[in-house]
Amino acid sequence: MNGIAMNGPAITWMTGSLSRLGLGGLYVRPALAVFVFAVLLLFAPSPALAGSCCGGGGGAALVLPKTGDWMMDLSFDMEVYDGYWNRDGKILPDPPGSDLRQYRLNLGYGKRIADRWQISAVLPMVRNENFYENSRTTSTGPGDTTLTLLYETFDVVTCVWSVETLEDLIPAAYLGLGLTLPTGVSPFDEASRSFDVTGRGFYRLDASASVEKTIWPWTVAMAYSYGIHFERPVNREYGHWVEPYNKKLGDRRSFSLSGGYTYFMESDDTITLTVSYSDLWEGVAVIDGEPDPATGLRKRSVSAVVAFANMDKSFMTKLGYSRAVKQDDWGENFPITDILTAGVTYVF
Amino acid sequence: MYSKSLAPLLAFLLLAGCGVTDDLLPSGENKQGGAVTLGPGDRAPEFTMPDIWGQPHTLAGLLAEKRGVVLYFAMWCPICDSHMQSILHGPLKNHPDVEFIIVDYVSGTVEGGKRAAMSGGYAQSPFIILVDERQKALNAYGATMGTTVVIGQDYGIRMIEDYKSQIQLEEALAGL
Repeated sequence: MNGIAMNGPAITWMTGSLSRLGLGGLYVRPALAVFVFAVLLLFAPSPALAGSCCGGGGGAALVLPKTGDWMMDLSFDMEVYDGYWNRDGKILPDPPGSDLRQYRLNLGYGKRIADRWQISAVLPMVRNENFYENSRTTSTGPGDTTLTLLYETFDVVTCVWSVETLEDLIPAAYLGLGLTLPTGVSPFDEASRSFDVTGRGFYRLDASASVEKTIWPWTVAMAYSYGIHFERPVNREYGHWVEPYNKKLGDRRSFSLSGGYTYFMESDDTITLTVSYSDLWEGVAVIDGEPDPATGLRKRSVSAVVAFANMDKSFMTKLGYSRAVKQDDWGENFPITDILTAGVTYVF
Repeated sequence: MYSKSLAPLLAFLLLAGCGVTDDLLPSGENKQGGAVTLGPGDRAPEFTMPDIWGQPHTLAGLLAEKRGVVLYFAMWCPICDSHMQSILHGPLKNHPDVEFIIVDYVSGTVEGGKRAAMSGGYAQSPFIILVDERQKALNAYGATMGTTVVIGQDYGIRMIEDYKSQIQLEEALAGL
């Protein structure tokens, strides 16, 4: 199913989750989907992350710590499909004997452009593997690129060791704008099979807000984003030229809640465990002004990330696991996936 | 310092832009005329496929009994399920004189197709579910997930594209 998801189904759908949506500088660790479909799968809710402003936090976000000038991030995701929710929220299995996976290598870059402003970009490279009883297909290509502009509402780090004044309770808040570029292979360009899809084919603009507070060693964080897809003309579907029409994917919302604990080693290096709950919705698409009732999705997932950071928080490595909650009614019209993530970040 | 730290961003944008101008600047130009794949007006390729109960079916045999045939290519995914439910509760009910076929092109065997159809809740549905064991039909029609084909008794293809809505399919069926 790799696909937005739906590489196979997965790929197309997953495209939504393919792209780690840069929502307010918080990566959306895919649920295509996150939707795909993405997209994914493009497609997925973005867990809020522990201690981003202080550096060395949850490890999943491309958020520059307050003291950082620029950063590079490299991560690898392995997403394994395990059935799907139909439109009624009922879990159905993938075809017998199938093994559907998507691998993503994500290159991230972040840059501080002013005291309170930072920008970032994430470019994924996607590999779909769809093995069925009678076919084995693999395809590789770029995924959708995400650009993010992030505004920080604070001038100094808000992480504290103890609460002695009301000011110590002030959280770090971020406001963001994210733009997803359809750089992946979508059903509307060269792809002749759903298995080859690595992007959703639509521009999307996300507005996001997140709040986090660290009182060492504990951190809580919350994030919300709202995204709109831009309408586009379509004249081709999976290699078939079709009578042109205009299509617009549904609006996308995501919410996440996270909690983290940081353990300080004797060397002052840190190990942080962050657990998150994420909820992702996407409304129905519109074709020539008419709603497409077969579209729209929902996915709820939980994740855990362990991150190691050195003393000055310039280097971080992380390992994460995200699991869609495999229960009826915990998702709609979307694949159920497990995502394993490993990555490194360097802050300059 | 600035040029050094911005270099990766420029590299990013170059990488992201390579070879993707079709999608970054989508076109709405109608190019159906010069298609190398099957399109409306073309003759539908003949096929022989077993159903999930092991009975073989041919396009000729199906067209001999009905006014037309609708093929829906499925891989048992969420969007396939949405499409099939949409067809089931609209066009299939409205057109008893048309045969509606689900083409399972991923299960590979009759037994596999039967299990997939049963777990998906379609084994006892009004659809005929054919198993495209070696994906011959998939390739002959240039199909993929969601491809919907409407074929008239003259073997003429009335529609071959991704399923979008009951309205779209009803319009094609009206031309049979």
